[in-house]
Amino acid sequence: MSLDKMKRREFLKVLGWGGVGTTLAGCDMPTTVTVQEGKEEVVAYLAPEEYVIPGIGVWYATTCAQCGSGCGVHGRVREGRVLKLEGNPESQVNRGKLCPAGQASLQAHYNPDRITAPRVRRNGQFEQISWEQAFALLDEKAGPSSGLAGDRFAWVSDTVSGHQAVLLKAWMDAIGSRHHYVHEAVNDAVWRAVCRDMLGDENPRLRVDKARVILSFGADFLSTWGSPIHNSTQYSEFRTAPRGVLIQAEPKMTVTGASADLWVPVRPGAEGVLALAIANVLVSKHHRDISSLPAEAQEQIRAYDLDNAARITGVTGEHIIRIAGLLNERGPSLVLAGASAAGHARGYDSVAAAMLLNIMLGNVGKTLESSAGFPFPQLAAKTGGNKELLDFAAALESKSFDVVFFSGTNPVYTAPEALKLKDKLAVVPFKVAFTQFDDETAQQADLVLPLRSALEDWGTHVPAAQPEQMQINMQQPLMEPLYPETRGFGDAILALLKLRKAPQYSAYDDYYAYLRNAFAALPAALKLGTISDQQFWTRAVQKGVIEVGAGRGNLATRVVSFTVAEPAEEGRPFTLVPSAGANLRDGRYANLPWLQEVPDPISKVVWDSWAELHPSAAAKIGVKTGDRVRIESEHGAIEAKVYIYKGMHPDAIAVPLGQGHEAYGRYAQGRGVNPLKILGLATETKTGELANHATRVQVTRIADKAGDKLVKLGGSEVQLGRKLVATVTADVFARTEGEA
Amino acid sequence: MSSTQRLFSGRWSFPGVRNPAGRRAGLPFAAGFLALVTALFVLCVPFTATAGSTVPNAVPPEGTYAGKDVPQPIEFPHDIHAKINGINCMYCHTYARRSKVAGIPPTSKCMGCHSVIATDRPRIKQLTEYWEKREPPHWLKVHDMPDFVHFTHEKHLKRFVFDNPNLPVEQVSEVCAFCHGDVKNMTVAKKEKPLTMGFCRRCHEANNGPFDCWKCHK
Repeated sequence: MSLDKMKRREFLKVLGWGGVGTTLAGCDMPTTVTVQEGKEEVVAYLAPEEYVIPGIGVWYATTCAQCGSGCGVHGRVREGRVLKLEGNPESQVNRGKLCPAGQASLQAHYNPDRITAPRVRRNGQFEQISWEQAFALLDEKAGPSSGLAGDRFAWVSDTVSGHQAVLLKAWMDAIGSRHHYVHEAVNDAVWRAVCRDMLGDENPRLRVDKARVILSFGADFLSTWGSPIHNSTQYSEFRTAPRGVLIQAEPKMTVTGASADLWVPVRPGAEGVLALAIANVLVSKHHRDISSLPAEAQEQIRAYDLDNAARITGVTGEHIIRIAGLLNERGPSLVLAGASAAGHARGYDSVAAAMLLNIMLGNVGKTLESSAGFPFPQLAAKTGGNKELLDFAAALESKSFDVVFFSGTNPVYTAPEALKLKDKLAVVPFKVAFTQFDDETAQQADLVLPLRSALEDWGTHVPAAQPEQMQINMQQPLMEPLYPETRGFGDAILALLKLRKAPQYSAYDDYYAYLRNAFAALPAALKLGTISDQQFWTRAVQKGVIEVGAGRGNLATRVVSFTVAEPAEEGRPFTLVPSAGANLRDGRYANLPWLQEVPDPISKVVWDSWAELHPSAAAKIGVKTGDRVRIESEHGAIEAKVYIYKGMHPDAIAVPLGQGHEAYGRYAQGRGVNPLKILGLATETKTGELANHATRVQVTRIADKAGDKLVKLGGSEVQLGRKLVATVTADVFARTEGEA
Repeated sequence: MSSTQRLFSGRWSFPGVRNPAGRRAGLPFAAGFLALVTALFVLCVPFTATAGSTVPNAVPPEGTYAGKDVPQPIEFPHDIHAKINGINCMYCHTYARRSKVAGIPPTSKCMGCHSVIATDRPRIKQLTEYWEKREPPHWLKVHDMPDFVHFTHEKHLKRFVFDNPNLPVEQVSEVCAFCHGDVKNMTVAKKEKPLTMGFCRRCHEANNGPFDCWKCHK
């Protein structure tokens, strides 16, 4: 009986025997499945390094490139292959910790869907070509002989930093284009704008560890917002004695919300009103002085008394008083505002109201610190948001570009359908995608250039959110490239530069040579303790970080003019929350099976999308968990299975980001839905960011699809009296374990 | 003796199968029936007398296997090296005492001797060609373990050689032969031992090796 012909019943029989059999004699049957003679090759080293012992891993330092946080990692390399990643304790960004997405960069590296050779579109079909041919084509379309210059070129990328950013800027300067769009679908662009305007620092350092109470308006700072691992390591300090109190106000419970001591469901778009209502209580009940604030701000604080605020936000007066009380008693505090507060027409104003609380409570300079000028502005992280996507689309509409380059970002996937990005891209004569995978954007390109994985490439990275001891992160290849016909990102841009600026860049054979040279040019202050450039380089590669030192600076406090608004209840009954999770983020990790397999921390759903509803909202529509619903906005509709959860505001429906790929490999493609597709194009009034949490939708029940079940690990959301998590009342705790 | 071990020991009470630990145990009827059926399996495995071991403090594992000839890029003569010239196994398989794998010697190690020794022989010329091309030979694996089995040479050498006061390290090949057979008398290595779970398990039992599932399946 061969294995493939074995029926289930027979298999179970064998399994039944196996229970005894394996311990008795089954284990003497040679397992033809796996034990082989003369099948596998075993290749010895030619002349190994002395420290290389087959079977024993050697750990090398590099930097995780999965998101812009810039966590340092150590990779275990055995027999020339990288097998495991862990956080690098030398890196102050993540202090030895690493998130699941970082762990899963191995799967981006060994992914079976990687593009292994350049492709060009000819007569609508992709054909494989060599790099020489690809660069000949690039020379023709973008070199000096193309006759094109300046703003006929655009580059759309994700966050870039370090020497890659320097080279990219050099290339944009060489062609004379100002159109570098940094697009990040999950971003903190509005928060940064408010910080820039009110604190004079776009990226103030958060001191979660120094705070004793944190009030967060939808800032999922432990999972998707800012630098999550850095925040999490600080959070563990925040939670150790004396234990800090975390309050989270948002329409959909995030992972941070699930960790909160007090989670408050707030009506979508009413976060600013809630912030002002808290300010109102701080003034009326706790006599905080606001006489130094501008009259306009004072007036708004007075306008939102408890009754008014409770009506608008859906948060009870009792809760507002309790939050204000905690903020008043326990200083210093920290008030944050993230995506769900910022993604509305008046998102900037809501975030500004939250920042006003920081100013009123005296947090500026205590839990919000100046990022104190990183000394190498050319290396600093260049980050962005959705505004750049909208700007890019607008420029496409006026037929501005002849050549567009894409790297590290997938705008065709992240753009709302209403933006018609695919159609607009169709008129661009030549589109080049630098990518590892055949994603939606690469499919629209005319030339697809395969990049090396982050574990095969050289680079330097500067985290957008710097730790107190600032650093530059080193990225080094942990193994030989799996596919010889791929190139590093730095190598690719260097090759582009040689098309235009040969005399300047021809001295560098490759990006490694460029980096070595750039390191030699770094100021001597960074090289303290080393006697040569070689030693400095070796130390940087060994440690994975170059310490830049701590800078001290002061934040300004300037209260900008802002007007929070009551969210308008227009048209359709629900507000769509396109919620970002740490597993798939903006969809970039959807092709990594580990991350598809990790259950969502809240719903426990795997490999699929779902629509999260409050029980009362579900009752209104007449659906239960697992039923299918159609979620329809003005711009389209998506269908998903319902997951009912109390951690929702009854007016909101949440659909997670990341699924619904039309391309992007076997693990991502054709799975779930993409809520970004049905978003409206309303923008945040002051920053021009996409108001991506403001789309109103209609939700209707539709027929179930046969065999289409909500796959969810974890049976029930309640303990059913099983005391899985033991609790004691505050009284009992004080009597038995509290301080005397 | 744990209940699992008791169950194992049951098998030994059947005729025709030697019980190295000298245990006998009564069996309830159902288990006896199972054991009878499984013993039939066992009898199919060709047992031959084990070569008389000279390793003190060790009971060598039982079982043989008729391995096939594996064609290698260079017909490496183990006999010339290990028997005629008396080179210790661990001189070339130097990683065995440090790592889970014994390791195929790096080409540089071969050339350490063969840049001067026997340079006129055809096999050495072949080797020198590889070396000059800067390319190691692609050997084929003879002794393979399934991916779900964790076997470590290091721990086995520690137990039978380095922590075994009565075994001079010069005789390490006797210990290697437990699992690899009489490699000393082979040219190209050939599988002579079954390397099945039963083979491992019996040896672990006879030599008081660890018996937890996760020791090997981790």
